[in-house]
Amino acid sequence: MASLYLLIPIALVFCAVAIRLLLWAIDNGQYDDLDKEAWRALMDEEPGDTKGDNREPDEPHR
Amino acid sequence: MSAGPDIAAAAPLDAAPTSADRHCFHCGNAVPRGADFGIVIGGVRRAMCCPGCRAVAGMISESGMAAFYEHRTGYSERPTEAPAADEQLRVYDDPAVAATFTDTDEQGLRHARLLLGGVSCAACTWLIEHTLQRIDGVASANVNLQHSRLDIALDPDRVALSSIFARLEALGYRAQPFVAQARRELLDRDYRRNLRRLAVAGLGMMQVGMFAIALHAGDLQGIAAEHQSLMRWVSLVIASFVVLFSARTFFENAWRHLRAGALVMDLPVALAIGLAWLASGWATFSGGGQVYFDSVVMFTFFLLLGRFLEQRVRRRFQLNWYDVESDLPTAVRYRRGDGWVSGPRIGLQSGDVVLVPAGTTLPVDGTVLRGRSSVREDTFNGEQQPRMVGPGDGVFAGTLNLEGGLEVSASGPFSATRLAALQQSVGRASGEKPRLWRLADRVSGWFVLGVLLTTALTALAWSQIAPEKALWISLSVLVISCPCALALATPTALTSAASALRRRGVLVHGENALEALGRADHVVFDKTGSLTRGQLALARIAPLADERPESLAAAGAALQRASRHPVARVFDEVAAAGGFDELTYHIGAGVSGRQQGRQWRMGSAAFCRELAPTLPPAPPQSLYWVALVREAQPLAWFGFTDPVREDAAPLLAELQAGGLGSSILSGDTPARVAELGAQLGIPEALGGLSPEQKLEQLEALQARGKVVAAVGDGLNDGPLLARADASFAVAEATDLARAQADFVIEHGDLGAMGLAWRTARLCRRIVWQNMAWALAYNICAIPLAALGYVPPWAAAIGMSASSLLVVLNSLRLTRSSAT
Repeated sequence: MASLYLLIPIALVFCAVAIRLLLWAIDNGQYDDLDKEAWRALMDEEPGDTKGDNREPDEPHR
Repeated sequence: MSAGPDIAAAAPLDAAPTSADRHCFHCGNAVPRGADFGIVIGGVRRAMCCPGCRAVAGMISESGMAAFYEHRTGYSERPTEAPAADEQLRVYDDPAVAATFTDTDEQGLRHARLLLGGVSCAACTWLIEHTLQRIDGVASANVNLQHSRLDIALDPDRVALSSIFARLEALGYRAQPFVAQARRELLDRDYRRNLRRLAVAGLGMMQVGMFAIALHAGDLQGIAAEHQSLMRWVSLVIASFVVLFSARTFFENAWRHLRAGALVMDLPVALAIGLAWLASGWATFSGGGQVYFDSVVMFTFFLLLGRFLEQRVRRRFQLNWYDVESDLPTAVRYRRGDGWVSGPRIGLQSGDVVLVPAGTTLPVDGTVLRGRSSVREDTFNGEQQPRMVGPGDGVFAGTLNLEGGLEVSASGPFSATRLAALQQSVGRASGEKPRLWRLADRVSGWFVLGVLLTTALTALAWSQIAPEKALWISLSVLVISCPCALALATPTALTSAASALRRRGVLVHGENALEALGRADHVVFDKTGSLTRGQLALARIAPLADERPESLAAAGAALQRASRHPVARVFDEVAAAGGFDELTYHIGAGVSGRQQGRQWRMGSAAFCRELAPTLPPAPPQSLYWVALVREAQPLAWFGFTDPVREDAAPLLAELQAGGLGSSILSGDTPARVAELGAQLGIPEALGGLSPEQKLEQLEALQARGKVVAAVGDGLNDGPLLARADASFAVAEATDLARAQADFVIEHGDLGAMGLAWRTARLCRRIVWQNMAWALAYNICAIPLAALGYVPPWAAAIGMSASSLLVVLNSLRLTRSSAT
């Protein structure tokens, strides 16, 4: 079980790095809009979204 | 316009976050200074550069496609971390700076509005108000929780503004002059701070949990002392970090309120976390006893999560403080010498003569010097029916000049107008909104007391029986009594209910509105626009000659094409008869025209009798009557009315069945209000009320101990909505009403109010169940712990399970259709 004395500190280092990265991402604004990111994958099929749709904006739906 | 094909991917939008507010949310053009046609999209007020953009954006939003904007705003509104927080407070003593957010009244008192960061509950407002009111020179201090805003009146000779800022910072709140932009940044900063705490607690929980499993297993199966010690030490390091970084907010809050003499939910939370951490740390040092690091960290995480979710809902639907002044025109034409010049409205002096063209909003309060017109004063009375004005009549800023140009002599600056007074009374009313104490807050005081007492008794008893066990057993009482479930009971239920309502088209942004609505026992309705459609419609044609109603309506439509009166809009959809010419609009009278050589007139009785003296009086029905005559022959009376919403009657039936009283408070004429009341079976129907009188009626109800819900739509309902315990704004409501209302009904379906009411009742029941469960759990678990039967692993499982049950119970609200 002596390996614990090596593995646990390594786990702690990883944990510290993960926290650091997460805090950086939050400060960077990447988590500012959780709803938006959840929505983004679905945006193409939203009725109000014209992304990926070559129709002219003012041309009526067919 | 920006509805181009790939707006959704328009990443460059975030290039200039600070200037985003000066650009039109819809088309990206710069918004002219002071001009704001902003509308609410997805619960947030958006700046628009022109009425055109506003209309398009409103259409997109109302047709349920606001997701389009929701997607985009993430980019354009990414905030900058403002360095303003570190600015020296002295700057606020500079008269020029102070003038931007303060004003001085006749008694020499200075009124300031400050934005507060870090106000988390009703008790904070109590703390701030009482602390500030004790300062010599402060006349009054009032915190508006919903807007995190502080209204303060002080004597500038005795106390400096900067000292107020300093005092607020000393209390642990961040204060800034109140401006809408600063508020959003503050919200975002709070949001990020909470997310950072939550992230650290979450990662820490996983790590500590991993070691805790090993330690618990070791307790059961046996573990080498050195390994146990290693894992305890590592857990101690991680848990300490979490406690200092994430759980600090509980300690700060609890301490702040304790010093002010208030027992809040954060106190048992802080006690449980702090004591469990200290004792576990001591056990680690001494190598004996028991460690509760997993409970400490899990506890922190769950509570932060509950709070975070609740705050997210609130932040998402947060409306900015709405400034009515932004509805007034920025530039006006006024007389200088012999000619007319254009200039900013702000620079107008008392006595300046202002030219107000037809179809524009009056920029000032004043007296008409020349011209005749009608003005629509729905701002003050909620009515679409205009009032005739001529030389000598008083007119008010914010009302709409409908028919002809007016020359108005201004009576004073904006701050002296009736509109500014209305806004002030809205601000005051919302500040005086009755505070319904949360159930959780009322329970928590007793809970803390009970737990502390039990712990003390346990410690005392065990110190007699087995002194070496006393500390650990009394500690396990504290940990197992975990107020976690209790603390989560309310926020999770409210969050679930709010998101369920959101999906059904009701936005919730009032802090305690759901709780208040669940307890409401009286509803007051505004009439125009709330119970009625808010638009005139043709109710009846009473023919006076042998002509078909269709052809009469067609003739009316042809004549009304020349009219600027609201009645004309009713005929927009009627096909007009041909052959009319020489159409002339007579201000305050009606329209005249000629068809095949014959004179026609449509309008008031007096106007039509000039041509056809035999015109009989209008039918006795209480409608808005307009006559139609051809030469000397009376043809018809057209009766107009503002039709009642179809869903009003079922809603009232439902509310009455639920035991709620109801009344109508309207600015319309008492006769018409009484008629509507009779039609809908509302016994108390009062008309002819000013916004202030509406507020008085509401206060009288509240003084009788009623919990009152209010429904309104207009500027004139603003104070009412702000003061009511729970308030609704219907879909077409003005921005001011929407900003003040706790609930905004998105699709104009009054029945949604019934839905909100049912959901609120259900939510209240769920909160009770949660509380009951949390208390029952404690009543069972505490005696066991006090007897020393609960090892740390059982405490951890018990705590998580009871919290989970509360969360799951609350989630039932999102599935329920509340029927």
